[in-house]
Amino acid sequence: MIRRGAALAALAAVVAGLAAYPGYASGYGVRATLQIFMWIVLAGSWNLISGLTGYVSFGHVAFFGAGAYTGAILVAKVGWPWLPAALAGGVAAVLLALVIGYPCLRLKGPYFAIALLGLNEVLRALVSYFEGLTGGGNGLSLPTLDATIPIYYAMGASAASVTLLTYVIITSRFGLRLMTIREDEVAAEAMGIDTARHKLYAFLLSAAGPGIVGALTARDQGYIEPISVFPLATTITMIVMVLLGGKGTVWGPVLGAVVLFVAQEVVWARYPYVHPLLFGAIIVAVVLLMPRGVLGLLQSRYRLPRTI
Amino acid sequence: MLTVNGIRDDLMATTVLEIERLTKRFGGVTAVDGVSLRLEAGRIYGLIGPNGSGKTTLFNCITGVERRDEGRVVFGGGRIDGLKPWEIAQKGIGRTFQLIRVFPELSALENLLVVTRDNLAAARERALELLRFVKLEELRDEYAGNLSYGQQKLLEFVRVLMREPTLILLDEPAAGVNRTLLNDLLDAVRHLRNQGRTVLLVEHDMKVVMGLCETVFVLDHGEKIAEGAPGVIQTDERVIEAYFGR
Repeated sequence: MIRRGAALAALAAVVAGLAAYPGYASGYGVRATLQIFMWIVLAGSWNLISGLTGYVSFGHVAFFGAGAYTGAILVAKVGWPWLPAALAGGVAAVLLALVIGYPCLRLKGPYFAIALLGLNEVLRALVSYFEGLTGGGNGLSLPTLDATIPIYYAMGASAASVTLLTYVIITSRFGLRLMTIREDEVAAEAMGIDTARHKLYAFLLSAAGPGIVGALTARDQGYIEPISVFPLATTITMIVMVLLGGKGTVWGPVLGAVVLFVAQEVVWARYPYVHPLLFGAIIVAVVLLMPRGVLGLLQSRYRLPRTI
Repeated sequence: MLTVNGIRDDLMATTVLEIERLTKRFGGVTAVDGVSLRLEAGRIYGLIGPNGSGKTTLFNCITGVERRDEGRVVFGGGRIDGLKPWEIAQKGIGRTFQLIRVFPELSALENLLVVTRDNLAAARERALELLRFVKLEELRDEYAGNLSYGQQKLLEFVRVLMREPTLILLDEPAAGVNRTLLNDLLDAVRHLRNQGRTVLLVEHDMKVVMGLCETVFVLDHGEKIAEGAPGVIQTDERVIEAYFGR
């Protein structure tokens, strides 16, 4: 109980610190933290479907891109304020997940991964094709607006929401059932668990966050184009963050996002040429040395509760 | 053992599961060939036959893991062939697997909790009681994958009981379980029968089958070649032929 209280106090202190941060930070500091928030949302969302159910999504950036274009079009063409546009981006991503999840979640293993990879490529092609709405390959510019600090808070709130949602799911019966799908789907069904419905719900929940932060990113950057919001590298980064921190855990995606992003900024920015090499090395090291990630390793070694 | 009191007499009259002319083919191979059988409440049945005779396929057709090609399966007053595995489980059929299928990276306790229809807090008492029943209470927070083979087998067995199924299918419950555990397991099966549940088990250990089952079905090449009390089955010519050849 005391440890729990201390943990909550530390958490509250971190949240308060981050809330006050833009007041005294440099522009760079705010922008970097904002991006960490974005990565926490992306990694945390990927964890909800892939970390818990084992259905590896190789096209999760599709939801980010769908949200980005939805938000950007609503702001640039319809004149919506960015906040409702961001929420609409989340809704669009969830609708996309509903359409694509229903057929694709019947596919097992690599077939599901490849189907989602295909989805991402299809979306990118579609966005390039419908030039009238999206600007096609020329991209889409948003009206100039300096909203970095409000977007910092919106990103932070999204990161906190995804992490809280993960906590609620993992400590619930619903979350345990998602894990049985990862562990043994046939046995889960034989135990009376409707795996198709559980997978779909997890998939819908995992699409909302990327859709929202996609729209926020579009507003923040003021310009988007197909290659900037549908890159496969973004999906790969989400996956590496979760694997590094610990798949299927509450804090693994947060840890992975912070560590990888900071490493990328601090160390790798100075050595741009070795950057991809180091990235690859980290993937190999994690998979070989600690396939469950940092927290997964600690969890199985010290029998930590699932709330970690 | 077979005290026939009023309650059990009533139960025995009730048909729990009825299979009519069930057939399952894999390509050109007929794994289950027109099998019909009837199970009554509160009894223990055995399903035996040489390797490849269709025992596990029959289990899979009953539980919806495989789609039957022909025939009907009636359980609890309605047809269940064509339903999804989880729907059949929710109707009250529980099963174990020939190769153990616990959830390895869930704790022993979580393996049970996840099956419940109640909320987690309400299910906890029952789950702990079941773990006590198979003497795994001390290991409740251990990952199921870290338990010994026999312990995993017991865990899988009590996991089936979380939903309080009326029909329990056990695929080789005795295989790889040591004598002490085995006796506990057999006692547990009898206890379930005494509660009015029905048990159908596939088993290669004839001592277990003969000591436990009241009726035995024999499959050979997907066909039911005999049915009856264990003593009668043992002397059946077709059964002897199926096992030892002519």
